[in-house]
Amino acid sequence: MMDFGSYHDLLDLYASYAATVDSADWENWPEFFLDDGTYRLQPRENHDRGLPLCLLALESKAMIRDRVYGVKETMYHDPYYQRHIVGTPRVLSVRLEGRREIFEAEANYLVVRTKRDGVTEVFNAGYYRDVIVRTGEGLKFKSRLCVYDTEMIPNSLIYPI
Amino acid sequence: MSSENWVDVASVDAVPEGDTIGVSLNGQGIALYKVDGEVFATAGLCTHGAAHMCDGFLEGHEIECPLHQGRFDIRTGKALNEPLTEDIRTFAVRLDAGRVMVLAD
Amino acid sequence: MENTSEVFPSDPTWSEEGSSRVPFWAYTREDLYKRELERLFYKGHWCYVGLEVEVPEPGDFKRTVVGERSVIMTRSTDGEIHVVENVCKHRGMRFCREKHGKAKELLCPYHQWSYALNGDLQGVPFRRGVKREGKVNGGMPADFNPADHGLTKLKVARRNGVVFASFDHDVEPFEEFLGPTILSYFDRVFDGRKLVLLGYRRQRIPGNWKLMQENIKDPYHPGLLHTWFSTFGLWRADNQSELKMDAHKRHAAMISTRGQGGKVEEVVTGLDSFKETMTVNDKRLLDIVHEDWWGKPTAVMTTIFPSVIIQQQVNSVSTRHIQPNGHGSFDFVWTHFGFADDTPEMHQRRLIQANLFGPAGFVSADDGEVIEWSQEGFEQNPSQKTLVEMGGRDTEDSPHMVTETLIRGMYAYWRRVMGE
Repeated sequence: MMDFGSYHDLLDLYASYAATVDSADWENWPEFFLDDGTYRLQPRENHDRGLPLCLLALESKAMIRDRVYGVKETMYHDPYYQRHIVGTPRVLSVRLEGRREIFEAEANYLVVRTKRDGVTEVFNAGYYRDVIVRTGEGLKFKSRLCVYDTEMIPNSLIYPI
Repeated sequence: MSSENWVDVASVDAVPEGDTIGVSLNGQGIALYKVDGEVFATAGLCTHGAAHMCDGFLEGHEIECPLHQGRFDIRTGKALNEPLTEDIRTFAVRLDAGRVMVLAD
Repeated sequence: MENTSEVFPSDPTWSEEGSSRVPFWAYTREDLYKRELERLFYKGHWCYVGLEVEVPEPGDFKRTVVGERSVIMTRSTDGEIHVVENVCKHRGMRFCREKHGKAKELLCPYHQWSYALNGDLQGVPFRRGVKREGKVNGGMPADFNPADHGLTKLKVARRNGVVFASFDHDVEPFEEFLGPTILSYFDRVFDGRKLVLLGYRRQRIPGNWKLMQENIKDPYHPGLLHTWFSTFGLWRADNQSELKMDAHKRHAAMISTRGQGGKVEEVVTGLDSFKETMTVNDKRLLDIVHEDWWGKPTAVMTTIFPSVIIQQQVNSVSTRHIQPNGHGSFDFVWTHFGFADDTPEMHQRRLIQANLFGPAGFVSADDGEVIEWSQEGFEQNPSQKTLVEMGGRDTEDSPHMVTETLIRGMYAYWRRVMGE
């Protein structure tokens, strides 16, 4: 069981994450992760079949920073806005490791994409499955796994989900 | 004294020669067949699709399922062709005073 | 007044000799696209369907496509691999809906016509009619012969764990189709070792399917479009490299050997994104370990016309399946794999290097983007032509990368087969 203060912190983490990736604030995206935190974006078919391949498998905060560099500096792409609609998180477990508080939680998400000349379209739908650690700087992701139903990516995916 | 449970399921005349009918064995559907006056019994449903064996076509001692043309030997229950992968259950039959008696569990 | 359109010519012809000026209408005409399906995907060519490791056990199936036609690859109880068209012979239903699975038979749910895993028609419900009061009603005509109504079977070629199929049973043997040069690069990756399936990535790219073949026949773009490559020294235009084709010039291999040390040098000097001091923050992204089977080249990209690309980019290997759906769109399906004798470290390395590729990949996401923009350019004025003249106008093999000869080779072949 989680007290309301902790649940509020969790809601704040989810809301802040969405606000960051929706406002093109890429430099701050890695800051949601521990140094050894991982970010994985995986098609549901691989996840459900136990196949390990991800669309993106960023194995550390440093590698997440490498992705930011790619997004900002090297990957030519049609610019777009994205907007996340994240469902209410469901807490799966709360435990203590030493003095560290660790949550597991999940939440549905929907990302819509709007290109400069286009109408808004559903871009990626799935769920987050997270392991979250309380640190001196607030809650951080030990791991964030995004499992997406939208196995057929509408051309390319550039920005973080 | 016998613990065997023979059940009267039909009159012998009700089973047409060279054909099949469905009857109830303690509430469970089974199929009866008559070949040259001899009566055989199998489970009522095909081991493959959802079909009644009594809707099938009897040729000699082979019953062909009406759905997917799987064939069983009614004497042994053996599945004879694809798409069947599983034999069908058979029951012992005894004719007694014009009645068909089937050995139930 | 003659009423002809300059932008949308009604019956355009390819006026120039050669294949260095490709008309935009080659990418926009629906009638040409249908002819491509007929002549390139359904006749005279082998198309990729999958890896044997995707259907390891009897009864396993995988649904995929040849051109636009839905097909099912199955493994039957005798271990054979079959490829059949996913269209019931009764009323034409595309009945198999799962992407993969395990089944004892192939069953169309509409009227339960059932087919064996090799496509033979097994059962037709009430084929002999329905009995009622001693009379049989209905049923198929007496001359109905199930042997005549199996699913359409494709010819199948298996080579070292890879499965190709063709609707054309007169197609030449697979090895001849590839020709000795391309076959040697095929066998370099698929040498009979047991494969391990790592997973899939899929993307729908709104562009003509040929643009993806061109993309992997175009060594001019990687160091320019994919600035991530050049930034981190993974691709340089002066890499030691070769471009080779089959005798028909439809298939190709781009063979390149990374410079030792991987330091970025003069060739990309002057590009905005060039930063000599750049290194990745997490070295694992570029933790390249030479594998014996590579031989000297560090990357070989093989295009097998029309349906698939075989990728070996350092430690990342995949097949990339081109699945056209209309003149202006195709699905691009990546199947990443490893080898059964990979160490746990190599397994992990392949998964991490996969970040470079696929619909979100550092050096692949932008390919889908530029293909979309190319198609937009073609559609707005199909009367124009591309200018594919880097390295000349010929279609010969090349000992360097600064050429578009492979694209010209492909269009020389395309013109012959398409009669344009």
